[in-house]
Amino acid sequence: MRILLAEDDPDLSRQLKASLSDAGYVVDHAPDGEEAHFLGDTEPYDCIILDLGLPKIDGVSVLERWRREGKMTPVLILTARGAWSDKVSGFDAGADDYLTKPFHTEELLARLRALVRRAAGHAQPLLVCGGLRLDPRAARASVNGEPLRLTSLEYRLLHYLMMHQNRVISRTELVEHLYDQDFDRDSNTIEVFMGRLRKKIGNDRIETVRGLGYRLKPLHDEVGEL
Amino acid sequence: MSEAPADPPKPRGPADNIRRIWQRLTANSLVGRLIRLAAVWFIFALFVTGIGLTAYFSRVTMHRFEAGVGQFADNLFSVTNIEDGAVDTSRFVDARSGIFHSGLYWQVAQVDAKGDIVNPVKSRSLWNARLLLPSTVLVQAKEKVATAVFYDGLGPKQEPLRVAVIYSMVDSNAYVFMAAEDASPVNRDIRTFALLTGAALLLLALGSLGAIYFQVRIGLRPLFDLTDEIASLQKGQQLRLAKTYPAEITPVAHQLNAFLDYAQEVVERQRMHVGNLAHALKTPLSVLLTSAGDDAGPLPEAVRKQTETMRAQVDHHLRRARAAARSTAMGERTPVEPVFDELAVMLEQVFQDKGVIIDWRAPDNLAFRGEKQDLQEIAGNLLENACIWCRRKVLILAEFEAETQTLIMAIEDDGPGLDAARFDEVLKRGARLDESVPGSGLGLSIVDELVRAYGGRLQFEKANLGGLCVKVNLPGNMDG
Repeated sequence: MRILLAEDDPDLSRQLKASLSDAGYVVDHAPDGEEAHFLGDTEPYDCIILDLGLPKIDGVSVLERWRREGKMTPVLILTARGAWSDKVSGFDAGADDYLTKPFHTEELLARLRALVRRAAGHAQPLLVCGGLRLDPRAARASVNGEPLRLTSLEYRLLHYLMMHQNRVISRTELVEHLYDQDFDRDSNTIEVFMGRLRKKIGNDRIETVRGLGYRLKPLHDEVGEL
Repeated sequence: MSEAPADPPKPRGPADNIRRIWQRLTANSLVGRLIRLAAVWFIFALFVTGIGLTAYFSRVTMHRFEAGVGQFADNLFSVTNIEDGAVDTSRFVDARSGIFHSGLYWQVAQVDAKGDIVNPVKSRSLWNARLLLPSTVLVQAKEKVATAVFYDGLGPKQEPLRVAVIYSMVDSNAYVFMAAEDASPVNRDIRTFALLTGAALLLLALGSLGAIYFQVRIGLRPLFDLTDEIASLQKGQQLRLAKTYPAEITPVAHQLNAFLDYAQEVVERQRMHVGNLAHALKTPLSVLLTSAGDDAGPLPEAVRKQTETMRAQVDHHLRRARAAARSTAMGERTPVEPVFDELAVMLEQVFQDKGVIIDWRAPDNLAFRGEKQDLQEIAGNLLENACIWCRRKVLILAEFEAETQTLIMAIEDDGPGLDAARFDEVLKRGARLDESVPGSGLGLSIVDELVRAYGGRLQFEKANLGGLCVKVNLPGNMDG
């Protein structure tokens, strides 16, 4: 397993590098944002540990650049400020997990293991409908190339609709596939989630068929390439 | 603008309305000042006009009346024939003075050396009475022989009379020719005129004051708009003054906007400093913690423990600094929905391995009257906490209570929950209830401090889902 450690503090970097090597990782170190971006862009890492407060280019900008360039390597961000606004902006930029300084080394290792395991999940075919793409392996979706930020219930709803494109799906059917046995089965909540999903993927993509249910409409200029 | 009254509005009678307007006029307000100023001048001018008009009317009317009485006396004087002491008025013909107590009287008499009237010949209308001649008037009349002199007398019915007297010498005897008419109809006319004029001017005064009131209120509307805008700034419905104002107020509005920008800038700068300080302190702490590692022994143990304490202290004081910086800013308004959505997406991803499902419900137009970062901090910490403790399900609900303009947030989980007895303990700074569950402590002390800074309240209950339910009251705002 090869990982990139982007951290500017020399002491912390040295210690982390030692701990990570002990745990069996091959570690590259980048002391600033410029180098971190270059390494992450050119080397095939399994995971990246990215400090948000890097010199030259800050962590969030580095992460944004990688994601814009299509780099999907899992990224764990380290933040010293501990404010949720920093964590949220890190996630908006495409982070997969966060850790607030100071932290215990074991916690970092545990998070790292989880990230790597997730990224190596079973391969499943990509679902495509018009400009909509859904990757069940990474649990990621995008519309016209823009990544979508979905909650798990919204994701499940979209997943189900994409698996049954162009078919009218009743509300009861959706409720059954969306919730566990013991979950709140109020069918009104489907409308709430449908509303939120429409906001995120575009209003005209999901059609309401009066009295029957919902249908995901494929676009005519659909390009099926994966 | 004033706050809404706490007690229910009472039905208003006209007296209440007048009292309200009166209070508004007498209060220390611009409207009151302008209207008072206008009213003082205006009422003075109307008063003088009223007095002047009435005086003029009274003079003209009296003059005309006197002219009539004088003419009457002249006629009497010119047609009366006196020969050898005998007075003959048979050529003087007048219908009204022939009627008993008709109000028109005449009298021709000789005046003796003492000035007393002797053998008067008088109109039938006088009947048994006679017209009296005060000695002072007689003196005046003697000075103006053959010319009418006027004075006020009393008639047979005790009515006020205007009397004209002409003095003349006939055959070396002194005679007076007197004519009198009841003045009460004229007096009545003058009184009526004065009353009518007074009423008309009063009406004019009231109407004009009303017009002035509206003119002032409409003229000062930009000022009222300004106060409205400032009120909505305070309520957090807007961030800056948006309306265009007349030239006189524009500088004030510009200054206010500049001040708001400055306050915002100060807050941002404070936050930057605070953030930098956090960064500068926490990285060395990380180094210490990592150096101690998992090694057993008193030194690594002490380092681990002290590092944790220092971190808690740094966090606590940084939050204090942040809260102090925040209180100067006003007018912030943060929609709840996007914040919940972001946090739900993010935390589900973080707790992916556990398979946590976060369900959130909030009305579209519900907003928090405060800064986004603070709402993120409050909801983020509570949600993270719920994610740590839950089995799989976390629910976050937000509602609006219009009466108190409160945003009520409830975060529930289906975890093991908490004994009511331990609720207080949880809020203590840095308290961790279970060291075995990973995470940065409960973070509840952060939330508690922030919520208090907003004048809100944090409560614990048992959740419907089975675990802990944390309820937060915060200042809220609902559009439309």
